[in-house]
Amino acid sequence: MTPRSRKSLEFVLDNLVWFILLAVLVLFSAGVPNYFQLGIFANIIEASSVLGVMSIGLALVIIAGHMDLSVESVAALSAMTVGVLFCSAGIGLNIQLTPEWLAVPASLAAALFVGGLIGALNGFLIVKAKMNAFIVTLASYIWVRGLVLAVSGGRSAQDLAPAIRWFGVQRLMGLPLTAWLAILCFAVFSFVLARTPFGRHLIMIGGNENATFRAGIKVNRILMLSFIIAGSVAGLAGWLLAIRTSGATANLGTGMLFNAFAAVVIGGVSLKGGVGQLPGVYAGVLLLASINTAINLMGLPATSTQVIHGLLVLVAVLLDTLKLAIRQRLK
Amino acid sequence: MTRFEPLLVLDDIAKNYGAIEALKGITFTIGKGEVVALLGDNGAGKSTLVKIISGGLDPSRGTMLFEGRKFLARSPSEAKAAGIETVYQDLSLCTNVDVVANFFMGRELTKRIMGIPVLDEKAMEREVEQAMANAGTRIPSLRTNVEHLSGGQRQAIELNRFVHWGGKLVLLDEPFAALGVEQTRRGLEMIRAVANRGIGVVIITHIMQQAFQVADRIVVIRQGVVAGDVETTKTSPDAVVRMITGESLASTGAAG
Repeated sequence: MTPRSRKSLEFVLDNLVWFILLAVLVLFSAGVPNYFQLGIFANIIEASSVLGVMSIGLALVIIAGHMDLSVESVAALSAMTVGVLFCSAGIGLNIQLTPEWLAVPASLAAALFVGGLIGALNGFLIVKAKMNAFIVTLASYIWVRGLVLAVSGGRSAQDLAPAIRWFGVQRLMGLPLTAWLAILCFAVFSFVLARTPFGRHLIMIGGNENATFRAGIKVNRILMLSFIIAGSVAGLAGWLLAIRTSGATANLGTGMLFNAFAAVVIGGVSLKGGVGQLPGVYAGVLLLASINTAINLMGLPATSTQVIHGLLVLVAVLLDTLKLAIRQRLK
Repeated sequence: MTRFEPLLVLDDIAKNYGAIEALKGITFTIGKGEVVALLGDNGAGKSTLVKIISGGLDPSRGTMLFEGRKFLARSPSEAKAAGIETVYQDLSLCTNVDVVANFFMGRELTKRIMGIPVLDEKAMEREVEQAMANAGTRIPSLRTNVEHLSGGQRQAIELNRFVHWGGKLVLLDEPFAALGVEQTRRGLEMIRAVANRGIGVVIITHIMQQAFQVADRIVVIRQGVVAGDVETTKTSPDAVVRMITGESLASTGAAG
């Protein structure tokens, strides 16, 4: 094999999920009536924002060789916090700030703070108290959701302050600002992971924690930070979720964790840690949304989405194994 | 005693694991530019001692003087900051990243873009290329992930890493376990070259021949204490073996 064709094969393998996304979009555009429209594509991107942002935090922690099952509940708690503070109906306290736009940074800060706090607690128990990440974040997944129920009393908050909702209404080049925020998040964190020492250390910790410790990298600090980031980013996802639904209900976002996992795995992140890049995760999220849209347009029962998502995860893992086999033959 | 200017002085270093005494009080000195071979049977406490010097373990007792000052590394990063490099028995490489990333692990070169530190990949690659060329190590592509490299190539990366960074003291815990004859010869040459730069070297090995080839002094640890501390030129492999196994004749082995 010539070095050139080898290089292009490596490129395809590295970006496989993007090629799959492209193929799926072409396939649906050709086969599903009304699929090929700019509006549909904009819709896919829009529908990917909340899940996408949530997947970023999950992916970072998994790449570092750990696990965060709490992201869904954290997003729900942040959304509920924003809902309770800034909604005017239901259980909303309807806090008014002058000038009105102050509600935007205030609600965003509240959402990030709530998420970051739970992330810090997860991180403390896992990194400092050396508890198992799976168990700690499973517990958080349960108790944080419980807290959402307790805070709301099972009721909902409606009519989010217009200044905040503006982000979901205002469009730029056909996409709402919330979608742009998600894209910006992916751009920023992709850069951080691929090009900064912090990202490099995170990947290396996921590969061989002992070696990074011996090399003098402050492993605990970096892991702690990654859990805090995962929490805060989940909080941001909650903020976007509150905007999307213009409020918050107690069961908001239920089941998103599994979609986030699917997106992360489909996006090429290995659950063993140390492998994965964020653009791939975004492609994974877009792929899930594209399939959902196709199912909607074809008028299939919504229940079939779950079956398809499950199969997709299996295919993703299968592809991962296949990729590994191809790479091994390359060397 | 060493005829070199002292670099690291170990005084009565002990380590207990509960009731078990892994080290019962180790005292010896490593000089600047000196190669000390640390020998001893399995479980004698060699690796424990290396971990204490390199910040991986806290001693239960004893003091260390590094360049004349009291020294205790609480973590590998502290030891590194003081100028102590360690090559461990089980390799310390991240196989999921490329050669360049491993070479610069924890010491990445950065450039600032709008105040944000960004990895300077080009500069790092240039430096690794240079270091590998100097050492005569050939690796097909510095951008291949280490998982695709052979055991020998991996060990070569580790060795080149310590030669490049050097510092003041280098600890090598069985560095040649995965190397072939030719690579081992080159590795021993590297050690000599490093020592000639005035860097102290401690090498743990099981192979007597290697110790006699490269070391200025041989220190034998047996059952957690120093059983022999002799200049290489004033002893013989047989005498050293007797120190290691603890035969009664051994105590006379130390002439210096």
